Amino acid sequence: MQVSHSLKVWALSAGAGALGLMAASAVVPAQNAKTVLMINAIELSGGGATVGTNWRDAVDMAVKDINGAGGILGRKIIVKHFDTQSKPGISKAVITKALDEKPYVVLGPIYSSSTKVNMVVTRRAGVPHIVGSEAASITQTGNPFIFRTSFGQSASMPKLANYLKDEVKAKSVAVVWVNNAFGKGGRDNAVKELKARGIAIAADISTEVQQADFSAEVVKAKQSGADVLFAYLHEEESARLLIELKKQGYDKQIVGETTLTSQKVLDLAKDAANGVKGHVGLTADANIPAIREFARRFEAAYGRKPDHNGIKGYVAVHVVKEITERMGKFDQKGFADALHCTTITTEQEPGVLMDISYDKNGDVDRASFLVEVRDGKQVVTGVLPKLGNAVGC
Amino acid sequence: MNAQGFKRLALAAILAVAILAPLGLKNYGVYLLSLWALYAIAAQGLNLTLGYAGQISLAQAAFFGIGAYISALATTAGMSFWLALPLAGLACFIIGALIGFPALRVQHHYLAFVTLGFNVLVFLVLRNEEWLTGGTYGVANIPRPALFGLSLGGPLAFYYLCLALLVLMTAMFWHIVRSPWGRAFAALRDNPERAASLGISIVTYTLLAFAIGSAAAGIAGAAFAPLVEYIDPTPFTLSLSLAFLLMVVVGGQGTLTGPFIGAALVTLLPEWLRWTEGYYLMVYALAVMVLMVVCPSGLTGLFDMARRRWERSP
Repeated sequence: MQVSHSLKVWALSAGAGALGLMAASAVVPAQNAKTVLMINAIELSGGGATVGTNWRDAVDMAVKDINGAGGILGRKIIVKHFDTQSKPGISKAVITKALDEKPYVVLGPIYSSSTKVNMVVTRRAGVPHIVGSEAASITQTGNPFIFRTSFGQSASMPKLANYLKDEVKAKSVAVVWVNNAFGKGGRDNAVKELKARGIAIAADISTEVQQADFSAEVVKAKQSGADVLFAYLHEEESARLLIELKKQGYDKQIVGETTLTSQKVLDLAKDAANGVKGHVGLTADANIPAIREFARRFEAAYGRKPDHNGIKGYVAVHVVKEITERMGKFDQKGFADALHCTTITTEQEPGVLMDISYDKNGDVDRASFLVEVRDGKQVVTGVLPKLGNAVGC
Repeated sequence: MNAQGFKRLALAAILAVAILAPLGLKNYGVYLLSLWALYAIAAQGLNLTLGYAGQISLAQAAFFGIGAYISALATTAGMSFWLALPLAGLACFIIGALIGFPALRVQHHYLAFVTLGFNVLVFLVLRNEEWLTGGTYGVANIPRPALFGLSLGGPLAFYYLCLALLVLMTAMFWHIVRSPWGRAFAALRDNPERAASLGISIVTYTLLAFAIGSAAAGIAGAAFAPLVEYIDPTPFTLSLSLAFLLMVVVGGQGTLTGPFIGAALVTLLPEWLRWTEGYYLMVYALAVMVLMVVCPSGLTGLFDMARRRWERSP
């Protein structure tokens, strides 16, 4: 049989049309009058998979709890998880897709560089955006829709610097940091606060994301003669650094901020983490019944202890619930206004686990903890009160 | 229909789909198509360097990044995008020509390592020279351009800008590969000694292959910055260079339509496979591996094979 040219043209056009169909894979609206949609754009693969998975599981747990109790204003929550692959470019595609579905709020990501891409898009769309990122610059752009779930670096580093000066009595510090938006922001804030308290920076050592070998960095830190080593890296890299420090017999105090003493680092570094001290904004080992209960239920559900990112994800969903119920309606602009300069106590909403306050930039204030690792476990050695200096309120 | 006619028809069909496809899509689909168009431009550049001139390069992401940063820094400082765009292309043309010099001395995997080193160097400069590039904090609030007072800020309008760039660059590559330059590139790839004996300057054409391929990546990068509206060094690493290489190889190197198809596969397929949830990257990797085993000449080779069988059918 002779196939006509026109038939070939049609067949070819249909084949090329597959291109368009592949791009059209988006969008099935997933909410109606009885449900409310939340989009969780988070790191489920790539370098941030560990932190993102904790956040996602805790978000699921919070949604299950709230839906079990009747939802928000009688509407059940639907949550959709999207993987940013820990890459800002993919994150942009994900958030664009998310907003096509008209979510009430967007949760995540945790990696600061992905948040910086996404927050431009959510701001333009006027969608409240609650993130797990800590880079100081995120809340310094005047974006009225961006909110954190933990301290930004401009809040955590003064607390850490006070701790090093008053408790550890450090005169000089070797700073080891990961060279990306998260690590550089932390390093810049830490160095500023340490210098302001008269503490010398004996070594300023940058490292790479997913770096495997820290032997040269440890040699540099030892040669610096610093009283204290302050490490500000992601979880896996923190564990590798601690193992190398132990291997080279480093005998000075090691101090961190949140990630260095997180559960994932303790699991990976094992006894190399013993003796490490630090300041943490959130910890599953805090002697607070609500947090202990959350950690117990999380471990029962997922077979592992939650880290601070899990607590952040759980709190984020409950913040949405409380503010929406205060307003008595689903109003995105109203939500953003209502969350600025406000406090949510655990009496008002037990799911926030600890009293939490927001300033006009979306930064968080709440009590925090001094911890030490003993026998592979994080032990809380002190509680620092809220700063109580909410900006612009 | 002969092969030439088939190619023309394929390009016309792709163009028709590219114009009409976004009309029924929401912002996400339009964003992906914009990304596809820009990646296809950069892949076309690499296709010229690798597919036609036979010079392997793992630095395409570096030029993509240089173009993006020139555009971002210039437009946030107040320069018009329409000046920043050719400036990015010109800068990458010059730097690309300089990078071509090692290709005069080393070939194949040695050349791959030289260009890989350049990609790492550019990433480190983008990240560490904070005074110039913003370092890890990146460049934010990159404006989208306007044309004759008409804003191209919306997703659809910006997509058509990307598509127009793709059409212009494709026309240029079409002209180049059909001109004596294109034949000289192919001669250089197939047998450099014989090409030299015919009076083709190996030095000139090697450097030109790198320069033109790099300029294409620079132009694509210049439009990528306003598409994403925020850039930092992380996208411009070796993994993006490998993705460009994958686009050329999977699409079919040394063919005009190959980069279009390769860019579509690499950009759109992982997103399309998201319905498989936690498995989508695994399915994607598996699909690419199967394709390479079944058809080492890429998707274009697969289509050619199907076309020849079709034409032979009674």
